[in-house]
Amino acid sequence: MLKVKNLHASIDGKSILNGINLEIKPGEVHAIMGPNGSGKSTLSNVIAGRDGYEVTQGSIEYLGNDLLELAAEERACEGIFLAFQYPVEIPGVSNMAMLKAAMNSIRKYHGQEEIKAGEFLKLIRQKADLVEMKHEFLKRAVNQGFSGGEKKRNEILQMAMLEPKLALLDETDSGLDIDALKIVSHGVNALRSPERSMVLVTHYQRLLDYIVPDYVHVLANGKIVKSGDKSLALELEAKGYSWIEGMEDAVSDVQQAS
Amino acid sequence: MITANENESWVTAHANVELNGSNIAWLNQQRELALRQFETVGLPGVRDEDWRYTNLRTLKSNDYALSTASPLEIELAETTNPRLVFVDGHLDVATSTGLSDSVTSLKDSLEIIEGYFSSTLPSKPHGFTALNTAYANDGYVVHLKSGQVLEGVLEVIFVSQSASVVSHTRNLIIAGANTQCTIVERHIGTHGTMYLNNVITEIIAGENAHVDHYKIQQESNDAFHMGGVFINQAKGAQLKSHNIALSALVTRNDIHSNLLGQGAHVEMNGLVIGQGRQHIDNHTEVNHAVPNCTSDEYYKTVLDDRSRSVFRGRIIVAKDAQLTNADQQNNNLLLSKNAEADCKPQLEIYADDVKCSHGATVGQLDPVSLFYLKSRGIDAESANALLTFAFANEVIERIKVDSVRQELTQIIAGELLSGLEELV
Repeated sequence: MLKVKNLHASIDGKSILNGINLEIKPGEVHAIMGPNGSGKSTLSNVIAGRDGYEVTQGSIEYLGNDLLELAAEERACEGIFLAFQYPVEIPGVSNMAMLKAAMNSIRKYHGQEEIKAGEFLKLIRQKADLVEMKHEFLKRAVNQGFSGGEKKRNEILQMAMLEPKLALLDETDSGLDIDALKIVSHGVNALRSPERSMVLVTHYQRLLDYIVPDYVHVLANGKIVKSGDKSLALELEAKGYSWIEGMEDAVSDVQQAS
Repeated sequence: MITANENESWVTAHANVELNGSNIAWLNQQRELALRQFETVGLPGVRDEDWRYTNLRTLKSNDYALSTASPLEIELAETTNPRLVFVDGHLDVATSTGLSDSVTSLKDSLEIIEGYFSSTLPSKPHGFTALNTAYANDGYVVHLKSGQVLEGVLEVIFVSQSASVVSHTRNLIIAGANTQCTIVERHIGTHGTMYLNNVITEIIAGENAHVDHYKIQQESNDAFHMGGVFINQAKGAQLKSHNIALSALVTRNDIHSNLLGQGAHVEMNGLVIGQGRQHIDNHTEVNHAVPNCTSDEYYKTVLDDRSRSVFRGRIIVAKDAQLTNADQQNNNLLLSKNAEADCKPQLEIYADDVKCSHGATVGQLDPVSLFYLKSRGIDAESANALLTFAFANEVIERIKVDSVRQELTQIIAGELLSGLEELV
């Protein structure tokens, strides 16, 4: 589904990613862990097509096509979804309005008809129940006045509505208490399927107790320095990030992991 | 015919007009005084500090005839609200359904407006205001006696349909103690028609009166709109002024409130949407003359193409006006490199125990919000439109009257959300 090859990216001339190799197959869940500043969020932002990042080397192939050729909105229409670390508040646009605009835009991209109002309403209520979101939140402005946990649940609601092929969850666990973490994880797990791949970007192992990944990669200084299965996360938790210091020069063979 | 750039031409053109109430002494006095004022100041120019960003060259390059009464030529949307219709500044009795004991035309109310007429105006009016006082011949008058509630929403539509005419209209809302009313003034014209609409509304709000005034401006894109809303508020009077300027070639609005009795509160909301080469100039003024009054101003501007806006927000807190609480916000969104917003907050505070705040911003759409929408699959154009609509709609959301808010939301959606209107 996704092949990242020797990806180098910089922001404002500062190099953040220094040769990422990663392959993700349909249905796989990959966790990307690493200390602050290791480039975890940059990787998901570059895949999602956020402005401001310059890809200086390497390539990203998605479903057999050059992903870097596509604008952010085209990537979303092709099935890539980024759950934001800091979901954006958009006063004046309701949750429903945004999701309806998004669904119809994606449908239009694929030459499909707009969703019927009744069908949309039924769907969004059903998905709101999945993340235990009160229906009145659907009419409220996007994320405005939402608590940290409500914002993250809202991200998962959007993901459930848009049914992406590849979901990038950027620090979805940050700022969540244990109850909210359970609700969010439940929502994510319900969306796992053999066709849908996920990338969990996280600082802590805690999330991986609830969403069990197939593979774990450790990022440091813009490179994957170690890859393994879920036990790697536990090992990392036990030994701390200082463990991976000095590994930066180690050759990471991603193919081994995937 | 008036040659607009010759001040004396205005006077000679009106000299032969038989004004309503020409036998009323106090009115003649007022008109005479205004005429003298006009002869002194003339039409404003860029050398006047209050007009330095607003060039009236195009307005002055035209000739105008005085408007005359003619039957309504356009079809108005149906409404269940009581409604008054003015055509080129003259009441169209045939289509007006809202006339009553309390809602009349100016020319039929000259005896009851004595003492109110021109009582709210600035002491040194500019040329258009002076002309309006000297020559206004019609308008609407809402006169509520103590305790009276004007049920529902009164709609007043000013239709401009004749080309190359000028009309001066004067409206008065005289709201006695403990009264309530909601009045929606709408100014419409057909695009492509050039005319000059010089219109003033005076609001005299008695003790604890609640007045909700809306001014929605959708003039012809070749028209000139010179508007004034002048307010006097007695003790405890609660006033809301909404000023929604969507179209005209050149717009100038002076919106002033004098807070004259303790506990008075004024809310001034404004929204400007500028396109093409439109120029919109809003001058607001809140005069805190006595202690314990509050004012809350919220003006937003969206400018595209080569449009230009001016916001001058003046707040005066008199020496005795302790415990004043005044807030003013003016946010400008520029959608084009060629658009320009000039904003000038002006706080003059002579009291020492007051709370006054103001903020002004000029900027573009937030790139993070745009990326957020695009990352959900929303195309760039729609994402821009949604965020622009959201920016503008924050003004509309302050409207408490459901029917008015919903209608305005639809109007704003029509302006900014082309193709996505069904989302709101």
